[in-house]
Parts: sequence; C-alpha cells; structure tokens
Amino acid sequence: MRFLIVEDDPVIAEHIVAGLGLHGHETTLAQTGSEAILMLDRRPHDAIVLDRLLPDINGLSVIDHVRRQGNAVPVLMLSALGSVKDRIEGLEVGADDYLAKPFDMDELAARLSAIARRNVSRPEGSRLQVGRLELDPSSHRARYRDASAALNRKQYSLLAHLMRNTDRLVTRSMLLESVWAYSFSPTTNIVESNMSRLRTALLALGCDPIETQRGAGYILRSDRCA
Amino acid sequence: MRLIPRALTRSPRVGRLAIQFGMAFAIAMLAVGMIGFSAADAWVLSRIDASLRYHTAKYLQPVDGHGADDAAVAAKILDWQRRKVLSERTYVLFGRDGARIAGRLDIGPLPPGFSDVRFLGGGRNYQEGRALATRLPSGSLLVIVQHSEAAASLHALLPGVVLAISLVALVMGVSATFLFARLTANRLAETQSTADAIAAGDLSRRIPTDRLDGMFAVQANSLNRMIDRMEELVRAQRLFSSNLAHDLRTPLTRLRGMLARGVADGDPALSGTFERAERECASIIAIFDALLRLAEIETGRHPSAMGTLSLRPLIEDVADTMDPVIADRGGTLEVGRLDDVAITGDSDLINQLLINLLENIATHTPVGTRARLSLERDADGAVITIRDDGPGLAAGDLARVTRPFERGASTTRGSGLGLAIAQAIVRFHRGRLDLADAAPGLEVRVRIPANDSPGPIVDAGAAA
Repeated sequence: MRFLIVEDDPVIAEHIVAGLGLHGHETTLAQTGSEAILMLDRRPHDAIVLDRLLPDINGLSVIDHVRRQGNAVPVLMLSALGSVKDRIEGLEVGADDYLAKPFDMDELAARLSAIARRNVSRPEGSRLQVGRLELDPSSHRARYRDASAALNRKQYSLLAHLMRNTDRLVTRSMLLESVWAYSFSPTTNIVESNMSRLRTALLALGCDPIETQRGAGYILRSDRCA
Repeated sequence: MRLIPRALTRSPRVGRLAIQFGMAFAIAMLAVGMIGFSAADAWVLSRIDASLRYHTAKYLQPVDGHGADDAAVAAKILDWQRRKVLSERTYVLFGRDGARIAGRLDIGPLPPGFSDVRFLGGGRNYQEGRALATRLPSGSLLVIVQHSEAAASLHALLPGVVLAISLVALVMGVSATFLFARLTANRLAETQSTADAIAAGDLSRRIPTDRLDGMFAVQANSLNRMIDRMEELVRAQRLFSSNLAHDLRTPLTRLRGMLARGVADGDPALSGTFERAERECASIIAIFDALLRLAEIETGRHPSAMGTLSLRPLIEDVADTMDPVIADRGGTLEVGRLDDVAITGDSDLINQLLINLLENIATHTPVGTRARLSLERDADGAVITIRDDGPGLAAGDLARVTRPFERGASTTRGSGLGLAIAQAIVRFHRGRLDLADAAPGLEVRVRIPANDSPGPIVDAGAAA
C-alpha cells in the first residue's frame, strides 16, 4: 500500500518512513500542509498519516480542505496533543483514526491497514461467520462444527471484533477502544487476560484461530477455521 | 471550588434572618410605643398638677385683703360638698394637730407639695390619685386630691397597646424580610445557576446583567470579571499543558524511534537494554497521560458525556472484564448484591473509576486475595463497595493515598495517581470516596447521588 506521511520533524518522519517500509508499504513524505495537498493532487494514496501541528497550516485544516474537494482518502491523525478532547476534535473534523505521540510503529502500521481497508470491512450486526466458526448474536454463543460454547459479553465482543477484521493485526489499544470503549489506558493486562479466557473457550470447541503477535496484538486466521 | 448543595438552588433559606429581622423591628416598635406612652402620660400628669395648683390657689384666695383662714377654707369645702355630688377632685383640710377639719376623704395628712396617694373611693375600692398639700399661714394643711379616670385608663391600656404594637411589628418585619429575601433570591437565581455551571466546569457561562439593577448589577459585573480572569488562567494552564505535552511528546517520540532502531539493528547484547529503556519510556508517557487526565477531570475540562447512567449493567461489565485479570494474578473477584440505581454520570469516567479501584487490588495485594464488588441503593443514592481481604492499609495511609503521588507504605509500583484520579472522578460526580479498614483488608466505598428523574437510560455496557 502507498501512504502519504505529513510530518515536519525529520527524525520522526524518517522513523515512520523506515518503519512502514519494514511492513512492506511505500510512502511519500510531505513536510508541510500545502506540500501534502499538492502531493495528494498528483497521485492517489491508500491513507494519510497527518501530523496535527504543522509549520504552515493546522492538520485539521488539511483534512477540511481534502474532504471539501470530495477526497475520501482515510486519514490517521498523529498528534502530540493526546487528551480525549483533542482526539474527539480530530475525529469530528473527519480523521478516521487518531494516534497520540509517542506511538508504537506496529500500532501505527496496524491502524493504517485497518482504516485503509475499512471500505471492505464487514458491516456490524450481520451474522458473523469465518470458515466454520460462527457467532450467534442473539444467544452470545460461538459454534464450530457441531460444538458450541457460551461466551460472556466481553468474550463475545472480542471475538466479534476479530472476526470482522479477519487476517488483520488488531492491537491491544484498538481492542480497548472498540471492545471496551475506554479512553484511558488500564495498567493491568485487561486485553490479554480476557483474550486468554476467549481462547480457552474456543480451544474447547476444537478451534483456536487466534494468533498472538508478541508485543503487537492479535490476528484471527481464517485458514484455521476450516 | 465548593459545590452549592442542590436544595439551596431551589428555595433559598431565609427563615432565621426573617425572624431576627422581625424581632429587631418588634423591639424598635416596642421602644417607640413606650416613648409615646410616657410622653402622653407625662402630659396628662402635668395637666392634673396644673389643675391642682389652680384649685389650691382658688381656695386660698385672700378675702378682703386677708389670707384665707381655716374657717373660710372649711366653709368653701363644705359648700363644695353640698354642691358637688360627683367630682374627680376631693378637698380635705387638716388642722395644725393633724385632725381633719373639713372634707370626707379617708386619708391622713400629707407632706406639703405634690404626691401620689391611695384612698378608699366609693367605700370599697382603693383608687389612686394625685395630691397637692399646701400649708396655710395658720399651720393647717389643705390637701386637694384629684383622681383622673383618663390617667388610670391610660395605665390600664399600656400592656395591651404595647403588645399589639410589637406583634404587628413582628408580623410586618417577618413579612418584609420574606418579601425582601424573595426579591433578592429572584435576582440572585441567575447568579446561582451560573455559579453551579462554573462549579461543574463550564467557564464560558456569565451572569446575565440585563435584568439586574443597583448593587445586584454591580455584584454580577464584578463576579463576571472574576470568571473572566478564572477562564483566562484556566486557558493559560491548558495552553501550558498542551505546550508541555507537545514539547515532551515530540522528543519522547524521537527517543522511542531511536530505541526501536537500536533493538532492530543493534548489538544483540545491547538489545535487552534497549527494550528496557523503551519500557521506561512507555511508563514516563503513562504517568504523563495520567497527570494530564487528572488535571482535565479536576478542572472540569474532560469532554464529558453526562447522562442518566444505569450502574448495574456497567458494574456487571466491569466485573466481566476484571474477573480474568484478578484470577490471572491468583485472586478472585466475587460480585455481591447489585441493586438497580441510576446516576447522572459519564460512563467512560465511571468505568475508569471502577477499573482503577479493581486494578489496585490486582496490583497491590498478595496472591490469593479475594475481592468483592457490590452496588446498593440507600436513601442518598448509589453506594458502590469494593472490599478485599488483603493486608489493607495502615491507619495513617487511609487518608493519604487519595492524594496525587502518594502510595501505601508497602508498594512502589504504579504512577501514584490511580486513587487520585478515582477521587477526582467521584468528586466530579458530586459523590464521595471513603477508604476504611475492613479488618482484614481494605474497603473502598463510593457514594454517588441517585438520579431518579425519568429519562433515556444510557447503557454503558458492551460497546461493540
């Protein structure tokens, strides 16, 4: 995939370019808002990483400009302003995701992949099925072949989120945001402990398609649900 | 900043002030009544004295150039007695030896001059009168006694009149105070609702001054200036935090990038050091985030989605979330009684409050600790109790640990902000957080006022 990186700090910009390169993505670098707008006109990108505080114009104005031109390219706003209020402001202006500095490279890559492929994501509320693994929203039960297991609300939401993002890396903080809707960072391993209960339940069914990426997050592999 | 109790905003209490004001008014009226009565009394007395002097002079009028003698005076008295059957005046003439020469009044001789006397009038009742005794050249004593019905009835009226004046004054004083308080309260109502909004963190509110006059307008203007200044200070503080956030986060981002590169292509012997350095970097950020969050909640700048919040599903959700965390650390989490209570609250903040408190148990108690979470409804509202059977806290630590950067004596982990944030969240919801010795263990009790008004219930449960 090709991403446009808009970041004025050379050290951070280089870190992002190198990190995304390691994940197999191509990048274009813009150091100012006006440069970013020029580059977007020149060629299409799968997503934009946009610093909020730029030397010329504010990152929020860049999104505003891009959206008014009818360009729906997904935007991940990267900012040193990390409060809940700043985050809400960014999302209200039209950013698809918001990440506070300092960030983890795997986190940035996972979030970029998620927003870049958002248009192919399954709609929420539909019956969830990956291979022969099924999730029943009315009874909160997971079924695999002839076996079924009851899940509590958290395990159900966790599995549903992973199934909607099959074969994609989902990070812990993405899960905290989407499954728990927490805007704060817990100090204990909430995600790990709940994930481990979910995997125990799935193992009892005879199918554990969840793979742990050490230090990064989780991937639900569709080929393991056959 | 102290929050104004809700009861005060609806009907300001003026009771004691009204009574005090009414009493002062009544005492003032009582004094005025007594002065007025004394003046009237003195005037009547002076008229009586003047009348006594006049009649004495008339009786002692010289006849044919000679001073009036006893016989002449006695004759006048006898003459008067024949003519007058009823009179307010009575004449008595005593001889030198004190024996009554003329007159019918049953009194003894009096010292010369004015005096007050009591005598048997009409045969049975004692009456009071004013007497003027005058010595004749012969040594005899002429006494004229005047009994004034007017003066007597004035005296009889005294207690009733004074009491009536006082009562009327009391009622008028109390009513005037109530009226004044009501008018004042009407003018202060907008000030009060503005103060409440500011206490809840909305610094953009100002007291509308278009309907105020006099000292109320002056006061509202000066309060508005004070709020302007407060808002300015908060904005400066916010700008400072934002700048600090930016200035600190940017170098930390660079540092993290460099460390990551060090892990990726550095000496394998050093990669452990790099990883540890990266973790330290992450904990600096965590403390920093917690501090900013604490500041946001305490200053009311947290973008809050306050709504009617049903606590039971929220607590069940938190219990589901924290049960495996506590179990993984060798403890157990039990859910006790859960009543149905709704509060006015922000679900994100209440979630953080409960997660913080349960994480404290997971982090700071030994393996095997049992925790119990319950929600009860009492007269004042919701009572959330989190109790564990761990080692608890020393008595001196109980009050200390909810302050920023304070920890229990035995622990060094954590940012030291968890309980301070919990405290700030509870205060934000107009509640209170109490820590108590559960012997053994610690009991944390959170009280938040209930919201019983019908309205849309926000289900803070599963977000996905």
